[in-house]
Amino acid sequence: MQLAVNIVVLAAIYALISCGYVLIYRVSRVLNLAHGELMLVGAYLLYSTASLLGGNPLTAVAMAAVLGLLVGVLVYVLLMRRMTGEMVLAAVLCTIALGVMLRGATVLIWSAQVRHPMEALGWSNPSLVLFGDARISLISAILIGATAVVYAALFGFLGFTRWGIRMRAAGQNPLLASQRGIQLHGVYALAWGLSTFTAGLAGMLISLDSSLDGTMTMIGLKAFPAALVGGLDSLAGALIGSAIIAIAEVLLIQFVNPLLSDVVPFFVLLAVLVIRPWGLFGSKEELDRV
Amino acid sequence: MDAPETILSVEKIEVTYHRVVTAVQGVSMTVKRGQIVALLGNNGAGKTTTLRAISGFVGMDDAQVSEGSISYKGQRTENRQPHEVTRLGVVLVPERSKVFENLTVAENILAAVPGKKSKSQAAVAYEYFPQLVRLREREAGYLSGGERQMLAIASALVCAPELLLVDELSLGLAPRVVADLIERLQLIRGELGLTIVLVEQNATVALELADYGYVMENGRIVLDGTADRLRSHDDIREFYLGHVQGERRNYRDVKQYRRSRRWYG
Repeated sequence: MQLAVNIVVLAAIYALISCGYVLIYRVSRVLNLAHGELMLVGAYLLYSTASLLGGNPLTAVAMAAVLGLLVGVLVYVLLMRRMTGEMVLAAVLCTIALGVMLRGATVLIWSAQVRHPMEALGWSNPSLVLFGDARISLISAILIGATAVVYAALFGFLGFTRWGIRMRAAGQNPLLASQRGIQLHGVYALAWGLSTFTAGLAGMLISLDSSLDGTMTMIGLKAFPAALVGGLDSLAGALIGSAIIAIAEVLLIQFVNPLLSDVVPFFVLLAVLVIRPWGLFGSKEELDRV
Repeated sequence: MDAPETILSVEKIEVTYHRVVTAVQGVSMTVKRGQIVALLGNNGAGKTTTLRAISGFVGMDDAQVSEGSISYKGQRTENRQPHEVTRLGVVLVPERSKVFENLTVAENILAAVPGKKSKSQAAVAYEYFPQLVRLREREAGYLSGGERQMLAIASALVCAPELLLVDELSLGLAPRVVADLIERLQLIRGELGLTIVLVEQNATVALELADYGYVMENGRIVLDGTADRLRSHDDIREFYLGHVQGERRNYRDVKQYRRSRRWYG
C-alpha cells in the first residue's frame, strides 16, 4: 500500500511540473529547458516571503505564488518575446542559457546553503496515517490535491474559456490567430506566467516537504521525460506520462536499486521514443516542428 | 450626391521578404466605401502579398512594406501587426490555413476577438451561415472545402470588419458552392455595409462580383478599371476569361505574348 502512495505522490510531483512544459510548448512551440530553474526560483521566493512575513504564512505563500507568475511574464517580456518568429532551436538554446543564469543567480542571492522554508513559515509537516500501514506527509497530500486542482483548472480554462480557446488557437496557427484579432504576445506571456506559476507551486511544495537547495532542478529535469512520454502538446498526456514514469521509478527503486532513481525517467523516455517518437498522446506533426 | 469616401488607399508600396526578395513593387490602389474590388492575376503575380501587406505581417513572415504607404480611413497601417489591423476593422480571410483545424466550429467562432461594433457578432456569423449551426461540435479539420470557406468568412465576421479581404474565394470549390458563397457575400455586403477586396485567379467569378478591378502581373498593377470595362478588355477576355477570337493560341504563344507585352505598366 505504501508503494501505491509513493507512486501517487511522485506522479503528482511530475504532473505538476510537466504541465508547465506542455503549456509553453503547446502555445509557442518552445521547449523550455529552464523550467526546473524557474521551479527553483519559485521555491526560493517562498523562502524569502516566508522570512519577510513569518507571522503570516498564508500571505507569504500567496505572495510567492503571484511573484512566480510575474517571473514567468517577465521572462517572456524581457527575453522570449524577442525569440518570437525566430528558429525554434534559437529559442530552446535561449532557455538553456536562461536556466544556467537563474541557477547562478539563486546561488548569488540565496547562497548554496540548504534552506528550510517550512521552518521559516513556522509550520509543521505531520505524517498522516492512511488505510493499512500506509503513511503520507501533510504537504504530500496537499501536493496531490494541488495537482488535481491545477489540472482541473487548466482543462476548464483551455476547453471552455475564450482566453483558453484563443491560447489553443494561437498554438495551432499563430498567423491566423493574429488575423482574428488575438494579441499573440499577450497569449504567450500568459502561457509563460501560468507555466511558471505551476512550476513555482511545485517548487514550493517540494521544498516544504523536504528542503531547498540547487539540486531541486534535477526533479524539474526528470519531469521533462514525463511531458515527452505523454506527448508534448497534450495535457492529458503529461498526466499519463507522469504516472508511467512514477510507476517505473518507484518500482525500480523498491525492487532493483535506489541508485536508479535519476536514470529511470530517461530510460522510459528512450523506450517510448523508439516506439512512438511523438509520445503517447501527442500529435504526429508536432515531431516535425521540433 | 457625395462621392463615396475612400476607405483604403495603397500608395506605391513595395514589399520585400527576407529583406532582399521584392515581391510587389509600386502597387497603388484605392477602395471606396461599399465597393467590391477585385485583384486579378496569375500565380505569383503578387495578389496575396498585396493583401497580406494590407492585413499586416507577423514576425515569422519576415516580410515588410519597405516603401510606400497604406492608409485605412486616413490612418497609416503599413507594417502594423495583424491583430491591430483586425481591430481597426480590416479582416482577412486567407487562402490557406483559414480555420483552426483542431478546434470545433463553435471554438473557431469563439476564438475570434469580437469587434467593438456589437456584442453578438457570433450570432451574426451563424445568421449568415446557418449550416454552421448543426456543425458546431465538429472539428474544423473534418469540414468540406465549402464548409471551411463558410467558417472562415463567418469567423472573420465576428471581428466586425468594415473592410473584408478575401483571398481566393473560389479556389478548389465546386461551381455551385462558389455561386452560393458569392450570393452570401453580396447579401452580407448589402446588409452590413461591408467593403470587400477580393483576390481571385478566376476572373469570371471576380468580375461577376466586383464593381472595380485591378490586374497584377509580376508584382505590379498593369491594368485597372470598372468590372464592365475589364470584362470587355481584349486582353482580359483572351487571357483571363478564355474568350478567344479566331485561332486558339497555345501556351507558348501566350507566354511569348506576355513577355513581349508590358501591359500598361
